Amino acid sequence: MNSQGQHNAHGDEVGESIVMPVPTAAPLVLSLGATLLAAGIVTNLVLSALGAVVLLWGVAVWVLQLLPGRGEHEHALVAMEMRPQPIAKAIIAVAPRPTSFIRRMQVPAQIHPYSSSVWGGIVGGIAMSGVALAYGVVSGRGIWYPVNLLAAMLMPAFATADNAELERFDGTALALGLVIHGMVSAGAGLIYGMLLPTLPRWPALWGGIVAPLLWTGGVYSFMGVLNPVMNARVDWPWFVASQVVYGLTAGFVVVHSKTVSVGQTGRGSGNETGSPPR
Amino acid sequence: MAVWESSAADISPPAVAHAPSWATTVDHKQIGILYIVTSLVFLAVGGLEALVIRAQLWKPDSHLVGPEVFNQMFTMHGTTMIFFVVMPMLFGFGNYLVPLMIGARDMAFPRLNAFSYWMFAFGGAVTYLSFLAGGAPDVGWFAYAPLTEYAFSRGTSTDYWILGILISGIGTLATAVNLVTTILTMRAPGMSLGKVPLFVWMMMFDGILLIFALPPVTAAIIMLLLDRSLGAHFFDTQAGGSAILWQHLFWFFGHPEVYVMALPAFGIISEVVPVFSRKVIFGYESVAAATVAIGVLSMGVWAHHMFTVGMSDALDAIFSGASFLIAVPTGIKMFNWIATIYGGKLVLASPMLFALGFLAMFLIGGLTGIMLAAVPIDWQVSDTYFVVGHFHYVLFGGSLFAIMAAFYYWFPKATGRMMDERLARWQFWLMLAGFNLTFFPMHIAGLLGMPRRIYTYSADRGWTIWNQLSTVGAAMLAVCFAVFFWNLFDSVRRGAPAGDDPWDAWTLEWATTSPPAPYNFEQIPLVRSRRPLWDLKHPEDPDWEHES
Repeated sequence: MNSQGQHNAHGDEVGESIVMPVPTAAPLVLSLGATLLAAGIVTNLVLSALGAVVLLWGVAVWVLQLLPGRGEHEHALVAMEMRPQPIAKAIIAVAPRPTSFIRRMQVPAQIHPYSSSVWGGIVGGIAMSGVALAYGVVSGRGIWYPVNLLAAMLMPAFATADNAELERFDGTALALGLVIHGMVSAGAGLIYGMLLPTLPRWPALWGGIVAPLLWTGGVYSFMGVLNPVMNARVDWPWFVASQVVYGLTAGFVVVHSKTVSVGQTGRGSGNETGSPPR
Repeated sequence: MAVWESSAADISPPAVAHAPSWATTVDHKQIGILYIVTSLVFLAVGGLEALVIRAQLWKPDSHLVGPEVFNQMFTMHGTTMIFFVVMPMLFGFGNYLVPLMIGARDMAFPRLNAFSYWMFAFGGAVTYLSFLAGGAPDVGWFAYAPLTEYAFSRGTSTDYWILGILISGIGTLATAVNLVTTILTMRAPGMSLGKVPLFVWMMMFDGILLIFALPPVTAAIIMLLLDRSLGAHFFDTQAGGSAILWQHLFWFFGHPEVYVMALPAFGIISEVVPVFSRKVIFGYESVAAATVAIGVLSMGVWAHHMFTVGMSDALDAIFSGASFLIAVPTGIKMFNWIATIYGGKLVLASPMLFALGFLAMFLIGGLTGIMLAAVPIDWQVSDTYFVVGHFHYVLFGGSLFAIMAAFYYWFPKATGRMMDERLARWQFWLMLAGFNLTFFPMHIAGLLGMPRRIYTYSADRGWTIWNQLSTVGAAMLAVCFAVFFWNLFDSVRRGAPAGDDPWDAWTLEWATTSPPAPYNFEQIPLVRSRRPLWDLKHPEDPDWEHES
């Protein structure tokens, strides 16, 4: 930049001119040459030859532009009245800057301990087992039938088993069924406990009725993939009943646990807005 | 919205006053305008081709145009819209805005920049010259080999397609290199990569994506040319070639290409939404990180266009999983934009309207994209109008709505005049209604089994009503674009003076005149935060006090 001691609208010192590239037809000529060169393939090779000449001409012009003192010039600054206006202080109201990165209220403020959620899930799972066992007895299939159906999810041998086989005691199936049932019950209890404080009133309704129905709907849609053996034999009214019993029992345990406060991070603990901290 | 006093009162823009200089210009702003104007010409042509398609499908057993012409129309429509409208239009905005936004005087390679534009323009011209040479290309915008081999595609129309795409592709690659270099090396003092505007972030990854994605398809096109012209057999299955090879090479480019068109659109939305919500963008870092994630993941999903070619189940599962995965960073961006809008003081000016339209339409396109990522669903609807509806929601709903937001937002910067807001609103509502009327019924027609690319259908298929709705919608879109073109034309001549900073925005391009001087800035600005103009306008609460 050629500094001559003038000042722009911001009061900064600027020169009278700025070094900029010189306009040139070289890119146009070069690309025209390349196009003609290619177009000759589908028209006439004479066109390709012409294109090669034009392309070389474009390259030559371009190279000349790169020689010292050829490709750049001093561009005079535009007239003073056409220069940028100083940037003024804003006159338009804006939303306060989000303060989330400094302080943010943790919602909900009170939660049930995670341990109570897990225990709730385990107790709910035991209650649910009672319903499943009752189904085995009432249906005449026996008490091992429900657990064998559950274990079929991980036991390929049960894929082709008939009802008689599924009604018999099987140690492996019992172990697998307990593991599956225990893990799912405890995990679902944990989720349940975490969600419960965020739900509106009537936790018994949400946890005991709505959630089991939603869960059952979900299971209904993918049971065929997850456990085809159970899918072929499940008694859905009993299945729903067992889910509701689980939800009500787990919810009872969780709701009756003592809530604890959530630690609030940052410098503040409210939902205050306004000027950000300095 | 305040209209700031103009510093170019007579609106005699230094960058556009010298008409004869257009052929020799190396100024990034003029080149950007050249890109945009040329793309608009192609937009009009591509739109007319779409209208021919829709008119032909208006009724069953129609003979308005024959199958040959119909094939040419959908081929040229797709080719035009992707290679000669959306991509160059976004490059036009990138060309115009990136140096201004990073406080630079020009692109890193100004002459290469001009070369890129001319290659694009000549590539488009070569493709369209085929009309004068016995017929336009009729092989679809993806030109599947071996159907594009000489045995199945006689004459020169496919060769014109190959050469046109090859020529413009070279220009595109040069632009990509130029953009990446410019952004990496020419940022204003203080503007670290963590402080560049998100549009610049998106353009940089756009360039990187192109640098990786373009060479394979360029190679494939040259191989196809060799097959056709010199008897090579790369894709000739009867001579040991592979038809699937073309698909792999093409879609290795073709899927990232979707994001090449989407990322700049995301960038536009990331600039427009905060300004018109009067809030800082929510989660700048996560938007930028999501861009990187999208760029990386988009390179690994190409085969989801090929679920029906008979790849192994394991490959299908891998590409399906990767396709699902890409919804995560895209979803992060959506949530960021919505969180920016939430609680803001919304200004529903035309750029914001189009940005909101983008959010809604792109969401629908994204959801049907997730459906198509599931292999069983893809098997059912592959090559049906469901797919046509889906990708129009992504590319038209995504890119073109964002491009319209960009036009209304930056037109004042480029011309010194405002566009007509009343006409803009007419255009927006026509576009929103026409767009949904055109493309939503395509999903239903597709689910009813209507294949893509058929030139007519019988009345007993149950597709008639859906096609007629689409055709009515297309007519509305034609009116919408007529309004847009008139608004552009009229506003250039008679628009209200805009001033330097009509939207009270925060990025550097608004710090100079409208239109800017050829050198952009008398003094290269010093940047201290992501919103340098905010800092100047709000000295009591500058951003740099909050940014790390």
